[in-house]
Amino acid sequence: MKQFRSMTYPYVAWISVMIVAPMLLIVLYAFTESGNEVLTFRFTLENFVRFVTDRVFLSVLWRSLYIALVTTLICVLLGYPIAYVIAQLPGRSNTTMILLITMPTWVNMLVRTYAWMGILKDDGVFNAILSLFGIGPVPMIHTSFAVILGMVYNFIPFMILQIHTSLDKMDKNLLNAAADLGADRVHTFLRVTLPLSLPGVVSGITLVFLPAVSSFFIPKLLGGGQYVLVGNVIESQFLTSGDWNFGSAISLIMAVIIMLSMYFTRKLDVSVASGGKE
Amino acid sequence: MKKLFVLMLAVLTLALSACGGGSGSKDTSAQSEADATAKYGSSVLKLYLPGEYVGENLISNFEEQFGVKVIVENFDSNEMMYTKLQAGDSYDVLIPSDYMIERLIAGDYLQELDKSLIPNLSNLAEQVIGLSYDADGTWSVPYFWGSVGLVYNHENVDPAVVEAQGWSVLKNTDYAGRIFIYDSERDSFMMAFKALGYSMNTDDPAEIEAAYEWLREMNATMSPVYVTDEVIDSMMNGEKDIAVVYSGDATVILDENEEMSFSMPSEGTNIWCDAMCIPANAENPKLAHEFINYVLTYDASYDNAETVGYASPNAQVLEEMSTQEDLYAGNEAYLPRSDGANDEMFHDNITLQRELGKYWIRVKAEN
Repeated sequence: MKQFRSMTYPYVAWISVMIVAPMLLIVLYAFTESGNEVLTFRFTLENFVRFVTDRVFLSVLWRSLYIALVTTLICVLLGYPIAYVIAQLPGRSNTTMILLITMPTWVNMLVRTYAWMGILKDDGVFNAILSLFGIGPVPMIHTSFAVILGMVYNFIPFMILQIHTSLDKMDKNLLNAAADLGADRVHTFLRVTLPLSLPGVVSGITLVFLPAVSSFFIPKLLGGGQYVLVGNVIESQFLTSGDWNFGSAISLIMAVIIMLSMYFTRKLDVSVASGGKE
Repeated sequence: MKKLFVLMLAVLTLALSACGGGSGSKDTSAQSEADATAKYGSSVLKLYLPGEYVGENLISNFEEQFGVKVIVENFDSNEMMYTKLQAGDSYDVLIPSDYMIERLIAGDYLQELDKSLIPNLSNLAEQVIGLSYDADGTWSVPYFWGSVGLVYNHENVDPAVVEAQGWSVLKNTDYAGRIFIYDSERDSFMMAFKALGYSMNTDDPAEIEAAYEWLREMNATMSPVYVTDEVIDSMMNGEKDIAVVYSGDATVILDENEEMSFSMPSEGTNIWCDAMCIPANAENPKLAHEFINYVLTYDASYDNAETVGYASPNAQVLEEMSTQEDLYAGNEAYLPRSDGANDEMFHDNITLQRELGKYWIRVKAEN
């Protein structure tokens, strides 16, 4: 094995340049502020204090977590049945359906979000259909409905794929065994299928929640700038206010929140897995 | 119709020039490249400017005429451009805005222009000569200029109301839910300051606080939608009734949608100018001067003005654009006023900008 160790060097170098160094820079910026001419920066905790003591920023953080949670919940509730149905299909149509699910992700996310702007507009597709029945125009764009819709649309393929994978690789003999032992379909699902697919649900949750909580262009485009989320605050700190220190501090706070949530989902994952073995 | 025609013409020219380029002109282009290198010391010009901000054929015509290659890079904001300069990136010509030019001059990022190399300076319109950020034109040459105003649908909003209320029409709850606000702390605070009768360069904490309250109230009572460049398409389609828009974008909107009008509030507005500068670390200053001189020619300025829609710094082009029937005569957004008693330009003030940035995110986040 030893002779292969040198093969990891490029990988290590890549990680340090592309991941570790930028992270360290963010940490450095987060704990400093630009000083005077002589001393260009000095260490401070003020960036963090400013964030956690400000009611407005805390409400932004809360709103981001709330929207991300709602998005994740909807993705699970919609994604699980879809994945389940697809997994029941015979081989050919199974692959076709998965292909159809992944197809939208081939198009750039920004472009797809712009398409939703056209669909949700006051004179857009939905309202044109509604007006045929004499309803509307119902304001849809620039509402929290639009933001959540955009997020669910963009992130649900990750959920479906994860759940589908865990359902697909499940040993079908277990279902037959359960039937042999007299379990009906509901019982089989609750006692066999669901526990075995939970790892897929958990990783699906991670894959949806993380991008949803830090997304900034979906709320910007579909929320009309009124639904300011943490991602938007960070973006404005870097691109318009030019306050990199504060922006880095918020990024770091988000990174910690994300790491904590990953830690807990991992724990959940482990307990689910061991629960399944009991 | 006019747009379509211009487009077809452009495609045709492009096709023709492509054909011309294809037919064994490799030797001549190599020859002209060598000539350019001999004359300017290099045959490559690095241009750094905002996106969609140059005439359709300007770059290719310049390349052809002078036998050089132009590398174009775009920036989203002046701040982004400044960050790249700070990082040591080198360009030959930059096109930043007025206040940013003040910052670049103060930071020694620019080099003085050699006016003897830019004879076409005589083409400049009087309105863009002697602007405060660079009063004697030592460092910069105007590229486009304009103002900020209100585009409104005169079918739904009474022009008399807009004229009478100025920026405060954005707080008139008759129009709640029907306004677009430009999502930038600079422009939003500008209109709040002006509505309150202050200077937009004020750094008086009490006045900033008052402007912040003005914007908060607007945000709370009007449910505005905050947009940036989407505003052009949205107003062309008449999605809302009132929008804060840059004059050049307003020109395009008015050109496409006859229901739209433009108003520059009498309380005052921001008159701005974007200008060409040569950075201190430019690798090819000689060619940079040649480019600046070229942009000031009638043909290049015309191409620029026609494509982009902002007010030209070239006196003759400006005159034609604003008086000829088939161009922008009667389009009240094209020619920025030069007699607004309360109009101002922004001056560079980083601490103020950051302060306003902090307030602005709070205005929007407080829903």
